[in-house]
Amino acid sequence: MNKAQQFSRRSALEAVGCGFGSIALAGLLNQPAMASPINSHPVTLGKKTKIPARAKRVIFIFMQGGPSHVDSFDYKPILEKRNGESIAFDDDRTIANTGERSTKQTLMKSLWKFRRYGESGRMISDLFPETARHADKLCMVHSMHTEGVAHGPATLFLHCGAHNFVRPSMGSWIHYGLGSENDNLPGFVSICPSPGNGGARNYGSAFLSPVHAATTLGSAGRPAIDATIRNLVNGRYRTDEQLRQFELLQKLNAQQIRNRIGDAELDAVIKSYELAWRIQNNAPQVLNLELETAETHKLYGIDDEVTESFGRQCLMARRLAESGVRYIQLTYGDAGANPAWDQHSNMPKHMDHARKVDKPVAGLLSDLDRRGLLDDTLVWWGAEFGRTPYAQANGTGRDHNPSGFTMWLAGGGVKPGFTFGATDEFGHEAVVDKVHMHDMHATILHLLGLDHKQLTFKYSGRDFRLTDVHGRVVHNIVG
Amino acid sequence: MRVMKSIIHITFTLFVLHSIAVSLLADEFSPQALEFFETRIRPVLVKSCYKCHSQQAANKNELKGGLLLDTRQGLLRGGDSGPAVVVGKPDESLLVSSLDYDSFEMPPTGKLSDAIIADFRKWISSGMADPRTKASAEAKETVGIDLVKGRKFWAYQPLQDHVPSVSWTTQGDRRNIVGNQIDGFIIEKLRAANLQQGPLASREVLLRRLTFDLIGLPPTVAAQNSFLLDTAPDAVERVVDELLARPEFGERWGRHWLDVVRYADSITLRGFLFPEAWRYRDYVIDSFNHDRPFDQFVRQQISGDLMSADGYRQRQEQIVATTFLTLGNSNLEDQDKSKLRMDVVDEQLDTIFRGFLGQTIGCARCHDHKFDPIPTRDYYALAGIFRNTKTLNHANVSKWIEVPLPQSETAENALRQFESESSALQQRIAQLQGKVDTDQPIMSASLAGIVVDDEQAVLTGSWQRSVSSKSYIDRGYQHDLSQGKGDKTALFQAPAGLEGEYEVRFSFTAGSNRTKMLPVTVTDAVGKTTVIIDQTVVPPIKNRLITLGRFLFQPSKRAQVLVETTATTGHVIIDAVQFLPVDVAEQQAQQADMVGDEKRTAAELEMLKTQLKKLVARKPQRSLVMSVQEEKEIGDTSVHVRGDVHNLGELAPRGFLQVLPVSTGIAFSGKESGRHELGEWLVDRDNPLLARVFANRIWHWLFGTGIVGSVDNFGATGVLPSHPELLDYLARRLQQGQWSTKKLIREIVLSRTYRLSSVMNQDSDAVDPDNRLLSRMNRRRLSAECILDAMLSISEDLDRRMGGSEITVGAKNDYNYQHSSRRRAVYWPVFRNSVAEVMDVFDFANPSMVVGKRDISASAPQALFMMNSERVMDLAQKTARLYLSDSELDDAQRVKRLVQVAVGRVATPQEILLFTQFLDDDSLSDVTKEQKLAQLIQAMFASVDFRYVY
Repeated sequence: MNKAQQFSRRSALEAVGCGFGSIALAGLLNQPAMASPINSHPVTLGKKTKIPARAKRVIFIFMQGGPSHVDSFDYKPILEKRNGESIAFDDDRTIANTGERSTKQTLMKSLWKFRRYGESGRMISDLFPETARHADKLCMVHSMHTEGVAHGPATLFLHCGAHNFVRPSMGSWIHYGLGSENDNLPGFVSICPSPGNGGARNYGSAFLSPVHAATTLGSAGRPAIDATIRNLVNGRYRTDEQLRQFELLQKLNAQQIRNRIGDAELDAVIKSYELAWRIQNNAPQVLNLELETAETHKLYGIDDEVTESFGRQCLMARRLAESGVRYIQLTYGDAGANPAWDQHSNMPKHMDHARKVDKPVAGLLSDLDRRGLLDDTLVWWGAEFGRTPYAQANGTGRDHNPSGFTMWLAGGGVKPGFTFGATDEFGHEAVVDKVHMHDMHATILHLLGLDHKQLTFKYSGRDFRLTDVHGRVVHNIVG
Repeated sequence: MRVMKSIIHITFTLFVLHSIAVSLLADEFSPQALEFFETRIRPVLVKSCYKCHSQQAANKNELKGGLLLDTRQGLLRGGDSGPAVVVGKPDESLLVSSLDYDSFEMPPTGKLSDAIIADFRKWISSGMADPRTKASAEAKETVGIDLVKGRKFWAYQPLQDHVPSVSWTTQGDRRNIVGNQIDGFIIEKLRAANLQQGPLASREVLLRRLTFDLIGLPPTVAAQNSFLLDTAPDAVERVVDELLARPEFGERWGRHWLDVVRYADSITLRGFLFPEAWRYRDYVIDSFNHDRPFDQFVRQQISGDLMSADGYRQRQEQIVATTFLTLGNSNLEDQDKSKLRMDVVDEQLDTIFRGFLGQTIGCARCHDHKFDPIPTRDYYALAGIFRNTKTLNHANVSKWIEVPLPQSETAENALRQFESESSALQQRIAQLQGKVDTDQPIMSASLAGIVVDDEQAVLTGSWQRSVSSKSYIDRGYQHDLSQGKGDKTALFQAPAGLEGEYEVRFSFTAGSNRTKMLPVTVTDAVGKTTVIIDQTVVPPIKNRLITLGRFLFQPSKRAQVLVETTATTGHVIIDAVQFLPVDVAEQQAQQADMVGDEKRTAAELEMLKTQLKKLVARKPQRSLVMSVQEEKEIGDTSVHVRGDVHNLGELAPRGFLQVLPVSTGIAFSGKESGRHELGEWLVDRDNPLLARVFANRIWHWLFGTGIVGSVDNFGATGVLPSHPELLDYLARRLQQGQWSTKKLIREIVLSRTYRLSSVMNQDSDAVDPDNRLLSRMNRRRLSAECILDAMLSISEDLDRRMGGSEITVGAKNDYNYQHSSRRRAVYWPVFRNSVAEVMDVFDFANPSMVVGKRDISASAPQALFMMNSERVMDLAQKTARLYLSDSELDDAQRVKRLVQVAVGRVATPQEILLFTQFLDDDSLSDVTKEQKLAQLIQAMFASVDFRYVY
């Protein structure tokens, strides 16, 4: 490292305040001394991106387990007409297990009626009547396809763009690329993440500095009302005691470093306490949903037992977005190996899940919109894969389908009321304008003003990126 | 990746076709054919293919698959997967099958229309007229690696013996009395930069530094007092020797190694626990404590299972060492098992080569290494070794391998005796029960009555077929994976029209992981009857059938048996249901009676069963260990084109990295994987990297930064050494000192350089701001483990027991695990889904990757943890009680002592004032003395001096 770089590192170190009080002091794992070791804004530090940012932040609504697209957003009238017919399909699970293609499957119609919504006239099923009211805001991608037939691999692929190796999650890459927008909160938050199917790897930073990992609030399967930042509140001492103790600590620290003035690393420790103190005094406000009106609670369905928990997650997401958190993920899921939306049998259970999320999600869209936040907040809804248009052997459910499914986006620079791509006539495989998960990742980075090919990190002797050597920006959906 | 399965790369075809291509020229095509090309083919190629398959794409570095479609030659020559077309044969052309989405799926944006694909077929079958001849189709060429040039890189050079040009004993006009040869190398570089070494650290600072560095704990007050009073010239040496001999040394240094080998006690997907991984952790700690020569340590981890051993203890230790190979965080659920197999190999190679040699060979999996002289062929030469090694048993969810831990001859004999006794008893019992040799599948045809097999049952939810246990009927049985409870049912229906009284029997394969309470409901003429079955117990009839009872059936109501998984725990097994007319059942029972005197048999049976029960209760324990096995088929593997397991290239005979100057006299046998040979090659004295990389790690662990800063990367993309001669000196010392880690550590910590003060100096910092030249010591932040261990030890809450598993009994997976141990951090389970909070916030090594150098961050979560965590507050409170219980101390004495314990030095007057004022402050109501002292101690734990060694 040459002298000039060293001094820029110094001055940057002194300017604490980026991220979650987050400064990687001793450089990155094996990062040679070329880039600045301050792991906060690599892109803006080095190569200024030429892509205009359409969104400043992302809210990802993760429907763990895989809701069925042919029962929700991808209308396939042929399933009704030919219900029960036996047709040969290239079933992904069968291929992975036996290599056998063209196996006979029994078509299964949707249990839900589809209706036309909005000026765009989009067909949406009765699973999501509330979300459907926002039809003209949504940008539907019907031609998603991805990797992994089982939940674990596919969930990791959705979050990290890889499933066989430990790689940073999308939120970590974005936080690494853009840093945080605020001084009092973390930059990447995951609300109620599931411990299963990849667990912490789905919001971890892998070889990026740990400061880019998500701060988690709560855990899937537990009520959202209990979700908070770890150690945010002192459960033992009164505020006046804490304040006196905090003053003691900072006086002590000041004493201790008096012989080491100018040591940026020790300064950063002291500043981390100041920041923690600010977070401790601010975050509870941000996370305190009681500060919202009864009307807002109603909008998110917090007043209703069924929608209360996910309603809280959605409202929390809006409050965090408003306060400048860069990447927020909400998970509707649980801790099981067969997660929430995983209806291999008993398809009607989809309705239970839809009831719990539909109103809160619609409330979030309305609320973001009326506050003008939807312009620069990208909302992304979807799962690790979709489901098959045919029944599983027992005739009551649908299996995983990574070959074709739907995700939708709203706000943040995507075309509203727009539909892109298509699956085949049955809804089994994406065939028109296919969008691979890598492509979706590339596109979301693009909307944030990041070039997925430039957002790299040198590790183990080579440059890594979220999209590996793949990914194309889907310009057609950008407004 | 499924789309690529059918493609096989055939190298020779490529050349054959290449020569054909040259002989065909554009003017040989008819104008009509060219017209067809121009109107129907070229526009499609330009629009849908050129973006990724043209010279232009290649220029932008966006060429995919090495395939060019912008010349005719490019099509014929093909890409990584072979030629794109066979002229005249569209059905054999990869291009066509790709357009059809049968092999590749091209273009990826969506399948072209059938009409266009038909055009391409026509074009190829009628000779593939194409005027595009510009000779740009060179994408397939790869630039070979120049090994001779590569060997000139510093890291691959043989180790040299260096002597520093300056003596360590003099510096300027001073004469040094502390130090050794190491300092000569340091002073040499400083002098060249016109710098000098600063002053030595005070003795109290030095003792704290040494104690944390060597045993990971703070010095006790007694140790401080005796060291400060010890004025003998060898006082430091004696302290160092004492610390190196302490068992806590292995706990501290073992943890360093565990970072490098991505040690963990669980796996991410499904949170499976590794119940036996701790044995390896203990082996590592023990190896450092007993100063196992590093070369032996390396070899045991690579091939301990194959090495000859002197007695069972050595055999034990060697096989435990190989757990190293099994700790990867694999994707056990990957359904493409041949890919998973190579991913495991890749993970092992990555860990070995970065961990032992600082080489990032993973890049060479897909292409020749772009920066280092590592050809893809070398990668697959090494991969062959691990492809011969079985690390996982493959199934729907693959599983790591656990083998019996070798044990003493006495223990083996006891086990053998147990096995023969118990099998004799079991045999006799089986005889008496008329069940000899019934653990085999039987066909339903051989059974009386009506049998409904699981394959005929109506199932809901996903059931897993199995043939693992053999006591089933017909072709196998099914289980519910112990998942999706409630969603799965099985309905066995008798053929319509069943009438009369029947004995209904239910068949399953018993096992210890089965449910103990399975509700099975029989519907007969009268109604429904639910019977609860225990599937852990072997059923009485033919080891598979149990009677549900006798039932009366009428044709008006279908006879059926329903199995429900709701409220069951453990696996639910379904195999078959037998409807047996009662008269036949009676007959069978009578036949059974004819075996002999029923009463006598029953009495003997009872007695034998009791005997067996007693025997089983005394069953000698057989411990297991995570290890690997040699594959049945041993051989070499082929280069995988672009890393694709379904696209094999030329054969790569097993071998090593050619760039290293190790004589290649090592030959592989056709009987073993080659790990033994790899171990020999790694520790060969001509291999300069093993000693260099490890010596550098030791230096890094003591100075906070390596001589080579990128401790896991000694390649071209790594950092150059600051003191290459010193590094070679240390590496040679390691080799010459029988690879003793302790000797090398001792020499380093007794150097003057290690003993320098870390206080910054403006002059040297201006020239050398990173302190690469070591004019002073680096102040270093404590690791998460040291922070935790220090708090535990100061509060005297530390449980010092060594070794053994620390996973809470009964834990099923690692989700939301509550860490509550009172033992040293090294013994806390390392859970990939539940890293303990203190570790998580203080930059613990990611347990899924090789981490030679941890991050050091200062973050708000750390501060929140120190300020608000219940555990920290508890430890502070315990400490407060401890100090308050000593009534002979007054407050000033208490705080002085606390400062000495917590930060290893005498309290400053300002600190004493600050603390006593805090304790005297009564402005807040209802705060007890103990509470205030606890808050004070917590502040001390949170302070800068606690967290750093200077």
